[in-house]
Amino acid sequence: MDDEELLPPPGMSGTAAIRALADALTPDALTLAETRFAETVRVYLDTFDGRLGAAGLAAVHTRDQPGSPSGRLAVVDAATGAEQAGQPWPTGDGPLLAVELEPGPARAALLPIVDVRALLALAELDVQATAFAVRDDLGKTVARIALEHARMRATGEALAARLRLQGVRGYDRETARIAGRARELGFTVARRPLVEDAVVADGGSPGGTSSKVGVELLANQRSDAAAAAVLRRLLEVIEANLDGSIADLDAEFLHDLRVAVRRSRAVLRELKTVFPPRELGHFRAELKWLQGITGPARDHDVYVLEFDAMRELVPAGIRDDLDPVMRVLKDRRELAHRTMVRELRSERMMRLRREWDAFLEELVAAPLDERPQAQQAIGELAGMRIAKVYRRIRKMGRAIGPDSPAEEYHEIRKKGKELRYLLELFGTPLFGAETVKPMIKSLKSLQDVLGRHQDREVQQATLRGIAEQVSGMPGRTAALMAMGVLLEHLGQDEIATRGEFAEQFAEFTSKERRAQVKDVFA
Amino acid sequence: MSRVIATYNIKGGVGKTSAAVNLAYLAARDGHRTLLWDLDPQAASTYLFRIRPKLKGGSRRLVEARSEVGELIKGTDFPRLELLPADFSYRHMDLALDHFKHPTRRLARVLAPLQDEYDFIFLDCPPSISLVSESVFETADALLVPIIPATLSSRTFDQLSRLVGQVRDGGPQVLAFFSMVDVRKSLHREVMARVRAAYPGLMLGASVPSADEVERMGEERTVVEEMAPGGRASLAYQALWWDVRRRLRTQ
Repeated sequence: MDDEELLPPPGMSGTAAIRALADALTPDALTLAETRFAETVRVYLDTFDGRLGAAGLAAVHTRDQPGSPSGRLAVVDAATGAEQAGQPWPTGDGPLLAVELEPGPARAALLPIVDVRALLALAELDVQATAFAVRDDLGKTVARIALEHARMRATGEALAARLRLQGVRGYDRETARIAGRARELGFTVARRPLVEDAVVADGGSPGGTSSKVGVELLANQRSDAAAAAVLRRLLEVIEANLDGSIADLDAEFLHDLRVAVRRSRAVLRELKTVFPPRELGHFRAELKWLQGITGPARDHDVYVLEFDAMRELVPAGIRDDLDPVMRVLKDRRELAHRTMVRELRSERMMRLRREWDAFLEELVAAPLDERPQAQQAIGELAGMRIAKVYRRIRKMGRAIGPDSPAEEYHEIRKKGKELRYLLELFGTPLFGAETVKPMIKSLKSLQDVLGRHQDREVQQATLRGIAEQVSGMPGRTAALMAMGVLLEHLGQDEIATRGEFAEQFAEFTSKERRAQVKDVFA
Repeated sequence: MSRVIATYNIKGGVGKTSAAVNLAYLAARDGHRTLLWDLDPQAASTYLFRIRPKLKGGSRRLVEARSEVGELIKGTDFPRLELLPADFSYRHMDLALDHFKHPTRRLARVLAPLQDEYDFIFLDCPPSISLVSESVFETADALLVPIIPATLSSRTFDQLSRLVGQVRDGGPQVLAFFSMVDVRKSLHREVMARVRAAYPGLMLGASVPSADEVERMGEERTVVEEMAPGGRASLAYQALWWDVRRRLRTQ
């Protein structure tokens, strides 16, 4: 039987509720015995985008005292508080990256869900918990009840007392009996997990902040209005991820920010005829600048994140020889972030955010004389653009061979991204997810190969670029030799991706795909 | 995959149940998901955990795998430690097993669905030579054999040799330990020294003393670690558990 969180009947205190329940269980030959009382500080954590919450879970850090060095991190079922995995976790300050935890059950449970995202504190509570054992006539524990009184740590505001009923395996009947008695007394099952109560009491809204766009559009909507709606949502995403990027909480903030900027630029480029040309030029330049100042920091995030995967490319015996390379990359990453943060806090950035918002707000009202397609139905315009970009990619791809310069692969990848954004931002809401999905999937496979090609290209260039610096470090000889091995592997993999490209491209431009593009979009 | 450890001795009253219960408790306390299967119709370990010795459908139904074995398991009062209770009908388990074409493989069949659910499965075996014990030999990764160093030494030797002989190649690893030891008795000390010399790889270093706490377990109905933490018996079982884990063949 699953655990349940129960709320005492209105007006009944937690302590009175326990007493009432104990009395009600007497005829069933079940007795309640207090086994433990503890006062703890409890911090609920989740990623910025609420990944644990979406999985029905919460991460909980428990300490005996505020500032106490000992503590425990647990992954619990959000609805019932039942622990699924836990391990000691002493620090508990600042953002927590699952990958940096000591190996243990909590880390193993968290990592597949949160991946590279940091766990941030959602709410901090002072909790008084009393544990009771429900025992049968043999003195055997057949169920456990935890009575919890929680207060918001910052404000002292009390949250409703909760009784958590936990079954013991093989004693379902007894647990059901207790739950039945509780219902007779007027207890109700808690509608919302305690963590959500706490987040709401803190003035927040549960569920995290998504970087998904998901703007709903109508096929006959004016194109400029549709473009403005999508771009405003993208600006929201940029704003939402700005602080986390500056504070460097995890690499995903900057990544989501940059994707939103890139998507915005794709919209400006592909739907340029709905914008006034002068402003279009200005904002394209400014967004390009924003993309540029965040580029090196993101590149270095990727080097550091993917360093372990790159290490795997060289034989196990010389992997450690690459440690100096990691040190150089980390130093450079720090530097790139500092430079970026200065720009993100600059007057130019402030002005861009302000003016871009105002521009989008007023776009529909702007004079129409230099915006020939502003009033055209977005269903028509987006379909035309999607078909056109698809044909363009097909043309570019057919001109590419295994010996083409890397630059040409890079260009087709950029075009592919543009098509993907068009499909996601406009294709899905206007033509239906089911129709667009197979195309996105085919495109994604193609882009994955091209992405790997690009990564290998950049990784080789980076390694060559830092060789000089590594050659001045201790362990340089071994490091440089290992780098040589790594370069060799990266080069070979780059060649391999070119072969894979041909295969994916054939699928992407198959007769079936072409017919689909023609039927749906053109 | 779980590791199956059976406490086994032909004789009764040598400390099998105490070892099974206390080691299973320590395994669970270390964080391992642990199951103790009380195969003894006398139900001593079931009793210790205050669980009613009763299985729906009895041993017959269990070995025929007609009911989900998971539905018969009971949680103990300790985290991660669960029990498959004994049942009075276990005294007829031989008969129930004998129905099958490969009777000795039945216990393994019963445990098969639990392999991913537990890290350790302890079998508390009844004292006998029977189809049940043969089944245990087929199922267990290790036999943990308590030996009282008071018995005439020749019989102790016989007992061990027979056991090692019974366990054919590829059978379970045999680990023996001295139980109910009284180091003040010179007989105990002599027997221990001679057996250790004769079976160097077989005898574990750790041994369990004859102690009040062990005897009181039945009265208090709990494990020594909860009853007298830090006591002689509690330290002995901790050492034994450490020794067993260290010696278990890695799979």
